[in-house]
Amino acid sequence: MKFRDLIIKNIFRNKSRSILTVIGIAIGVAAVVGLGLVTDNLSASTQNALTAGAADFSVVSGTSNGNNGGGPPGGSNQLINQTYVSEIQQISGVSSTAGVLRTMTDLSNTNSTNSSSTSTNNTFGGGNFRSMTTLIGIDNSSLSMDDVVITNGSVYSNDNEVIIGKNAAQSLNKTIGENISISNQTFKVVGIYETGNFMDDNGIVMSLSKLQNLTGDTGQVSLVLVKASNDTDASNLASTIEAKYPNQLSTSTSLSGMNRMNNGLDVIKSGSWAVSLLAVLVGGIVVLVTMMKAVSERTREIGVLRAIGWSQKRILSMIIGESLVLSLIAIVVGLAIGIGLVELLSTTQILQGITPSFSASLILKGIGVALFLGIIGGIYPAYRASRLSPTEALRYE
Amino acid sequence: MNNENIIEIKDLKKTYENGVIKALDGINLEIKKGESVSIIGPSGSGKSTLLNMIGALDKADEGSINVAGIDLMQENDLSDFRLNEIGFVFQLHNLIPNLTVLENVQTPLIETVISNKKMEERALKILKSVNLADKINQKPTKLSGGERQRVAIARALVNHPSIILADEPTGALDSKTQDVILDLLLDIHKQENVTLIMVTHEHDVANKAERSIYVLDGKIKEIKKN
Repeated sequence: MKFRDLIIKNIFRNKSRSILTVIGIAIGVAAVVGLGLVTDNLSASTQNALTAGAADFSVVSGTSNGNNGGGPPGGSNQLINQTYVSEIQQISGVSSTAGVLRTMTDLSNTNSTNSSSTSTNNTFGGGNFRSMTTLIGIDNSSLSMDDVVITNGSVYSNDNEVIIGKNAAQSLNKTIGENISISNQTFKVVGIYETGNFMDDNGIVMSLSKLQNLTGDTGQVSLVLVKASNDTDASNLASTIEAKYPNQLSTSTSLSGMNRMNNGLDVIKSGSWAVSLLAVLVGGIVVLVTMMKAVSERTREIGVLRAIGWSQKRILSMIIGESLVLSLIAIVVGLAIGIGLVELLSTTQILQGITPSFSASLILKGIGVALFLGIIGGIYPAYRASRLSPTEALRYE
Repeated sequence: MNNENIIEIKDLKKTYENGVIKALDGINLEIKKGESVSIIGPSGSGKSTLLNMIGALDKADEGSINVAGIDLMQENDLSDFRLNEIGFVFQLHNLIPNLTVLENVQTPLIETVISNKKMEERALKILKSVNLADKINQKPTKLSGGERQRVAIARALVNHPSIILADEPTGALDSKTQDVILDLLLDIHKQENVTLIMVTHEHDVANKAERSIYVLDGKIKEIKKN
């Protein structure tokens, strides 16, 4: 009989205790991996949205707080006159511009009732946030400036056609060739797009003029996307524009937008780490208590093993070995729970739009947590067991 | 140390509870290689403490104790000594319940460097010698008291120790099984020329050994040849 066979046999000796230990460690692994999958996705999504865009910055109303650097609309939604699009295009150093109108609407009942009500600026931010769909109006020739990439189908060619984001397609259960009703008007879905931004991917894009017509905002846009010439510094250009239109326009660069988003993400990440830490702590205590119990129940047996010639080191190795094998089982269980749960929730309303972001480092973190818990939880009971006096252990009832 | 002696104990003292209980109070004893000795005395007389001192399970406060050439008062880690020189048989067999008979007998060998195959061969040979060849895959819970004690004896012998220390080896058995186990221990002692030291409180058992040592209040009161 090999030493490792004895360790494995000992684990299956008290199945309920072993299962409890595995669950304790698996909770820690699942928390670290599960929350990591979500926060990593948010981070990747934000970076995609803010750094990969063709536009260098956006121009918004000087009275709004400007938060439209390709990211999700938020805060004020003050509109500006569409004439700024062509005016800014004339400024030296500007390569191209595009006017964009953004709004949100609740289309959650559209599928069943085949009717909907498009929200206007006045209703922006109201209702159930998770069920809101972003409506984006932009000329089809400028889609790349707003990071829109068609993954299936084609771009809209007239006012009766729209393209929908991959998450919206999923939540509204629509695909290419089907009709979608917005504000009592029917549009044909001609393409599915992806931006890497979970808010925009839960949106519908149509021509600027059509959205203006739907919302009654003719001649107005939410923002102007600006791309600087290759030889022009985008930050300087943004300053020039702000100087030219004081109190009228302000600019929002991808960088500043990213900083703001990163600050928000840092808070989310800190929160997820705090939850993970708590789960790890609970897992550690469960392992410690169950291993202490395991050692206590086997005190007499440990005394016998010492009497027949086992060294303290061998006893230590046996208990830590048992703890580590339980950790290895917990790694599989924890990863399955963590990944499975996020995968499951990402298909529901709870984590709509979140695509789990797998990475080797995250899996390694999960494995690290399990091994850490196994060693920490096992080391004290193992130390105590190895230090037991053989005569006292043999007297133990 | 005399070459004929495997154990030499001089003025050995051991107290518990800060000196309140004198478990051993100046023991002097010599035991020859291959001898069978019984230690007899009432409960609390110090006989088990003496056995534990010889088996290096506990350390004395004063005196000297030399077993198989090792000064037990000087060495700190005596697990190797127990592994190579001592075979313990307890009153309650103390087998590991989730292991089979064969695996239980192999447990001391885990600490050695011998191969898995040789481990099994050695354990099987000893189990045959104690007439348990047909029970090797059974768990201890399925065995009778006598069978369990035979497994414990096989476990004590698997490392070819020079001394077998048996603490009340027949104490938990009925009289018929008691004789079988006692005869087995004495047979092994003769065939293997292994030193046998048995602790008992029964005179019938004690008289089967070559010498009986009567212990009372931590002192040797009488040594007699049987």
